[in-house]
This record gives sequence, structure tokens and C-alpha cells, in this order.
Amino acid sequence: MEFEPKILGIACNWCTYTGADLAGTTRLKYPQNLRVVRVMCSSRINPSFIFRAFQLGADGVLVGGCHPGDCHYNTGNLYARRRLAVTKKILEFSGIEPSRFRVEWISASEGNKFAEVVTEFTSHVKSLGPQTKFKIKE
Amino acid sequence: MSDSALKKIAIDKINDLAAALMQKGTLIAPVREEKGSNFREIKNPQDIYLDYDNTLLSPKNIFFPQMEDFVNYQLGKDATPAKPVELNLKPAFLFGVRPCDVRSFAIMDTHFYAVGIIDPYWKARRDATTIIGYAFDLSKPADPADFYNTLGIGAADPEGSDIFMVKKDKELLLKGITPQGEALLNGLTMLAAGNAADEKYFTEYVKKGKEPRTRMMCLDDKTIAKKYEQIFENTEYWTRMADGCLSCGICTFVCPTCYCFDICDEDIFRQGARRRIWDACMFTDFTLEASGHNPRTKVYQRLRQKVCHKYSFSVRKYDVISCVGCGRCTRSCPVNIDIYSIVSEAMKA
Amino acid sequence: MTNFKHIEENLKKEAKKLLEAGSVAVVLAYTEGMDEKHPQPFAAQSVADADKIIFNEYCNHNLARYIIRYAPGTKIALAVKAADSRAVVVLIQEEKIKREDLILLGIPADGMKNSKTDEIIDAKTTGGLANPVIYDILLGEEIHTGKPVSPYTVLEQYEKMDKDARFAFWKEQFDKCIRCYACRKACPMCYCDPCFIDQSKPRWAVKSPQSHGNLMYHLTRFQHLAGRCIDCGECTRACPVDIPLYLFHKFVAKECEEMFQQAAGMKIDDKPVMVDFRVEDSDKILE
Repeated sequence: MEFEPKILGIACNWCTYTGADLAGTTRLKYPQNLRVVRVMCSSRINPSFIFRAFQLGADGVLVGGCHPGDCHYNTGNLYARRRLAVTKKILEFSGIEPSRFRVEWISASEGNKFAEVVTEFTSHVKSLGPQTKFKIKE
Repeated sequence: MSDSALKKIAIDKINDLAAALMQKGTLIAPVREEKGSNFREIKNPQDIYLDYDNTLLSPKNIFFPQMEDFVNYQLGKDATPAKPVELNLKPAFLFGVRPCDVRSFAIMDTHFYAVGIIDPYWKARRDATTIIGYAFDLSKPADPADFYNTLGIGAADPEGSDIFMVKKDKELLLKGITPQGEALLNGLTMLAAGNAADEKYFTEYVKKGKEPRTRMMCLDDKTIAKKYEQIFENTEYWTRMADGCLSCGICTFVCPTCYCFDICDEDIFRQGARRRIWDACMFTDFTLEASGHNPRTKVYQRLRQKVCHKYSFSVRKYDVISCVGCGRCTRSCPVNIDIYSIVSEAMKA
Repeated sequence: MTNFKHIEENLKKEAKKLLEAGSVAVVLAYTEGMDEKHPQPFAAQSVADADKIIFNEYCNHNLARYIIRYAPGTKIALAVKAADSRAVVVLIQEEKIKREDLILLGIPADGMKNSKTDEIIDAKTTGGLANPVIYDILLGEEIHTGKPVSPYTVLEQYEKMDKDARFAFWKEQFDKCIRCYACRKACPMCYCDPCFIDQSKPRWAVKSPQSHGNLMYHLTRFQHLAGRCIDCGECTRACPVDIPLYLFHKFVAKECEEMFQQAAGMKIDDKPVMVDFRVEDSDKILE
């Protein structure tokens, strides 16, 4: 059977989540591997969420936020950008493929971009294969 | 002859002895690691490292592992009744333990068997294990942090071991101390019989081991226990002692006589376990109550608990000082806090 | 080589002066421990205490660790080496302490030694600076000899490693962890109460020393110290099982420096990089 990755999506309420909604209402197709969690802002994301997701068996984590400058709270995503950049470096140095973690800015009107990103990311994670390093053995 | 016969083996033949013990059960012996040595289960006899002074971590984890599951269970829709964990112990041989650590097992026994409450896990492991003690090398100076002489422990005390070993040049002399140890020795064919000179060497070595070798002060358990009761409220003394203390858990984790633990339920992917893990009185959340109140918020209060528990409460309750003077806490303390100085300061306070 | 005796005398003299004048309530320095090789951090509160102060090459503990133990507003003097002074700067930046409550007795020192291993502490395991970045009174001559060595060269061999090998390396290291939390307690920057690992709601990782809990604890700690770790190396020296935590901290510090052009604890007016942003930060950092 073909490997179907599990991907955690963490989307900000104001842009990416609404963008995902738009992708849905415009009936765009994208892979079902993504499970989305809605947060109020990308800066609400505790980096431990990402480590934890990998430990609990996620093969990839996709974070979506507003474009820099568009944040509903003005500067939330600018903090998040720095924070998540560090998270990515930590993942890299600990030996997991850093490309399993991706941050994308997707606005509420970019339903197309949402579908594209998810499709592309899913196929990328698929090509990397299952994530076994962080995953806790059952 | 009243005493059991002495056996001996050349140190370079120790692999044969190890192999024989490994056939009978699990062999646990000191192994050399990056910095210092530790007791580990031996997979390859070559790993045994007897030229050590004292291990980094204490051997208490052999009877009282840092993490131990009591009960396993499954949560969720496939929930199963909780299943107790079976121990299934093989006979074990704890090889090359120093006399101060051997003494620590006896102290821990009082805690784990006290007043009719028997910890079955400790006891089962203890009963399954043969202790092969090993005298300190008297030709070398003791580690500066050691102070077991203060607590009346000699560098070559065979008490408490089943078999006791002494190094003689390129040989190890082994003597059965308990009937169990004697029987084991008699069944090991690779051992040669010791002669009269070996007997003499062994007896004298044990005697010589009684001579003071480490730091030493006159310490009477009743007096020190009383003293600590008196100075319990002496905040000046305690804050001075705790000035540098970081309140980490190293001292308690490396201590052979610290036994505090926490029982917690942990589950992952709906596989749950109720387990016991080491806890430390030096941790802030050790005394944290469900209400959010914490009776010991200050570092000095936690340090006081640790020292008084060992030198006062334990004497009052069980008539024994819960410290063997192995010096591990002093050696591993990141800020060089020395329990020996704390106690000697107390006498002056 | 640093003249440790000279610094010790100056330290005693200044401590006495400050305590006598009553300008500080406490002087944080070192005192003799079990032997010369094992000095202890010490809080001198009287002129008599000041006589007990010592300083030698084994006094490597970061005294900034103890500042937050005192009530806000307490006047504190403390002996700061290069790394300690950077820690003080971060604490000031994070408003844990006010600059005016501190008197910093700067100690330029090279050739400090690790009392456990007797190795010289240099840029391999620490930031490698010799002079404090901030001080009120300097207790010795500033050191300008020797070529400055990048504290990050030691990382090269680990960065070259294949990622699987690197994961195996870290897994082996973290599996050794006995969760005594000496690393966080020795760290001058770890002052959270409660620490995330002690929280029960949510419980971020298991309390027991299992592989996955250890990984979670250490990775999250690295993240929490990003842009704040001043590379004093205390966590590594405190570790009883010798996990080379300094490598990871160095790596994160290096990446932060590259991404945000600012090293931790160098200037009081800087904002720590993780509570700051620039609109012109590039999205490239996320790639």
C-alpha cells in the first residue's frame, strides 16, 4: 500500500483558516492528509506543539499564517516568523528533515494557494517517507 | 576451620568468572564510561572495569530503578482491566560493589521493610541478587570527597556482602561471607583455592581497611540528630549553607540512600502505566500541594529537609544515619556543596 | 595568564568597601569549598564574610543565577566574568533586575578550569570571551592577548554530519539524561516558575526519564533559550551524565546571530531577539 503521510496543519483563524474555507467552498481538490487545527494567530503556536506533533506521529507539520503586515493583531506573525525559524533550525540540528516542517503565509482570499501548498507539501512529505525519528514507539 | 575457605583468581582471568556468572543469571558490574564508571548489566565480560574508585551513579537503581511500572492498562474503546507487571527476575550478581555502597543497601532495607511495610519490588530484587563486595584499593589515597570513615565504615568491610573480594597484586581473593555466597563460590570451578598466606593477607587487609583513610570527624548519631533538632529553626545557618545551592536534583539522584519517589500515571497512544519514578526533595514541586500551596518555597528549606532527613529524622525513626559517606553528592554537585562541611558546621552552629 | 591572587585581593577589598559603606546588602562571590579545587558560590552579607571570599581558576559558576533569589530592589554587588556579565545584561533586558540595583565587579579572566576534568574552559565549550561586557569596577587588567576564537568552530564537525548520524548522536546523548534538572537550575536564564516541564496542565512530556520525554524537555529548553543563551557552559558542566548541551545551545545561538544579527547579552539597550521583530526580516529564514 502506498504511504499516506499524516500531516498536521496549524492555521490562523483570520487568514489561512479562512483561506482553507475558501478552497472548500470553491470546491478545489487537495489531499486529505492534512488535519487542521485552528488557532487565533500564528504567534499563538507554541514550538512545543511542533515537537509534540512529530512525537505523536505526524509526518509533516504545516503552519499557516497571514502575510507579514496583514496580521489581524498587527505584529503576531512577525514574532511567529522569528520563533518558528528557530524551531526549524532546532529540528535541523536534532537530525530530523527540516523540510517536514513548513510555514506558509496564506491569506483569506488565497484558496488556490492553500490547495496548491497542501498538494505540494503532501507530495513532498510522501517522498520523504514516514517520519520515525521523533515518533514515540507504540 | 570455622571460616569458609578462601578462593582466588588471576585478574586477567576474570572473564572466565564473569562468563560463569552470566550463565547463572544477570551480571551487573562497573563499566568504564566517558567520565567515571557506572554499574551496568554486562553483555561482554571485557567491559568489566575494576580499577575504579567509586561509580558516578550509585548502584541503588539495581534494586530501585529510576522508573518502574507497577500496572499497565489500555484506555479508550479497547480498554482492558489493569494488569500488574510481573517481575520475572533472574538471579543477579552485583559484582565489585564498594563497602560503603554495600552498607547503603542495609540502610535502604530499613526504609523499604520498615514497621511491617514491605516493598515487594525492592525485596524481590534484593532477594534475587548476590552481592559481591570489593574492598577499596588501600594503596591509593581515598577520593577527597569521601568520608565513609566518619560513619564507621571501613574501606574493606566485608559486612553485608555475600562474597567479598580483595585485590592482591595480580589476583583477586574471594571469600564467602554468607552461606549463599559460599555455596556460589564452591560451585565456580575456575577458582583456585587460596593458601595460608592469602588468608593472612585477606584478614590483614580487612583490618587495615578499618584505619582512617577518608575525611573523618567524631559523629555520634544521637548527638547529631539532637543537634539538628535544635538548629532546625536556625535560619541563619541554613541560609548560609544554601547560599550556593541550585536546588537541582543531582545529589539525591546519585545518593545511594535517597529513596523518595513519585507514583504517577502516564499514558501515550492510550497505553497507560502506573509507575514509580525517583523524585527529589530538592525539586520545587516536590511539596507542591493540589491547592497550589507550597510549604517549602525557599532553597534553604529544601536543603534543610534533605540534610535533616538523613542525619536527624532517620536516626529518630530508624536509629540509623541515612548516609554512607560515599561522597557522590559532593563530587557531582555543580556548585561544590559538600555535605560533610554542612554537618561539621552544624556541630559548631 | 590571569593573576588570580591579585583579583582575589581586589575582590575582597571592594566587597569590604561596599558592605562597610552599606551600599549593597549582599556581595555575590565565591568562598572556599571542600578544597581549593572546589570553590562555592557565596553571598557575603557582612564585612566579616568578605574575608572569606576567594577567587581562583575553578570559580567558574555563573553568579547571575542567584540574582533573582533576592527581593526586587535589593542592592546586590556581584563578581562577573565575561559570561556572567552577559547573563546580567539579559536579565536587565528582560526586566528581571534593574541596572541601578547592581554593582558589577568585573573580572577579566582567561584560563578558568573545570574542576571535574581540569580542562581549561575556552571557546570550545563557552562563548570564549575574556572580558566582561559590562561592569562598574574592574578588578584586573583587561585581556587583549591571544587571537579571538569563534565560539562556533566546534560546531563544524556536527554540522557536517549526516542527519541520521546526527539524530543518532543526540538520541544517545538525551537517552543518558536522568532528569535531575541540574542544567536548568545552573542556567542563569532559566528562571520560569513553573518550568514548562513541571506543568501538569498541559503535561508537555512525561516525568519519567524516557527517550521521548527527554527529547521534548531538551528541545523545548533549547527553543526557550534561543537568543538568550549567553554560552557560559554551566549546563554542561553541571550535567552529571555529560550531555554536551553546549553544542546545541551554540548552534541555536549561531543561527540566531546569523538570522537576526545580534548576539545575546552584549548590550543593555538591545531587545532579546525572540521578543522583537523587524518588518524587514526575510522569509528566507523559514526555508
